[in-house]
Amino acid sequence: MVLMRPSGQAGKRSISVPATLDELARVRTFVRDSVAGFGGSKRVADDLVQAVDEATCNVMLHGYRGKAGDVEVEAALRDRKIEIRILDRGPTFDPTRAPAPGPGATPAPTRPGGMGVGIQLLRTLTDEVHHSARPDGGNELTLVRSIDGQGEED
Amino acid sequence: MAMTIDVERLGGTTPVTVIALTGELDASNYEQVIEVVRNAYADGSRGLVLDIEHLTFMASSGLFALHAAVRIMRGETPPDPEEGWGALHQMAQDHDAQASTVRLAAAQEPIARVLERTGMLRLFALDGTRADAIAAFQGA
Repeated sequence: MVLMRPSGQAGKRSISVPATLDELARVRTFVRDSVAGFGGSKRVADDLVQAVDEATCNVMLHGYRGKAGDVEVEAALRDRKIEIRILDRGPTFDPTRAPAPGPGATPAPTRPGGMGVGIQLLRTLTDEVHHSARPDGGNELTLVRSIDGQGEED
Repeated sequence: MAMTIDVERLGGTTPVTVIALTGELDASNYEQVIEVVRNAYADGSRGLVLDIEHLTFMASSGLFALHAAVRIMRGETPPDPEEGWGALHQMAQDHDAQASTVRLAAAQEPIARVLERTGMLRLFALDGTRADAIAAFQGA
């Protein structure tokens, strides 16, 4: 189910998908379209698509753990910064507090969605990563990336 | 977008399998890639070309699949996902890409960037085209 809805905030977009891996492609398309709609470069889109895929995959595999649920992704442009919020109703989990990458850093016995590379990539691909527990249950992960800069030293 | 996998088996002194990936490699389909590589090795292939000219996205699960491909083609057990990041880096350090039995052909910029960021580029011999990768195995 795709929900594209206008809201009071200029340029804000959102999508809601069931927490299944087959839906990741739709989330990526949403992010790519949103960044393009904000006027961001392909490079910025590539990086945010990668980051959101990692974060959303993490929610699906380690948040919901195969249980039914939805993941909502919102994108907005504020002060030349793209803010992407990933919202779920899974148990509270703050990936920004995950241990440093290394053996056993992330529980992922059969699925590599949480092999540790994902969290590392999030930090590399964005300018800021914030987590908060939603008051009524679930998580809100915010990824911020300047629409102008490269955001990474190459 | 889904991903399609096309497999071509080539004879010669070193049997080579060419796997072309088209679309997006992510957590929903990376296991298919590992399975195809496992079958190629089991069928006697000792060289693997991954033609990724038309691969437009690769998640970290895709990196895992590529890592597994290298291990499988070396006759090793595929990596345990729990080894994670540390294992990838260890492998990047100890592996000689020039002697690799896995060649990556026609990696596009976003894919090459992900491989580079994660230190995985060094695992593979890189070729500009599928034909170059095949030729490298066949000594042409």
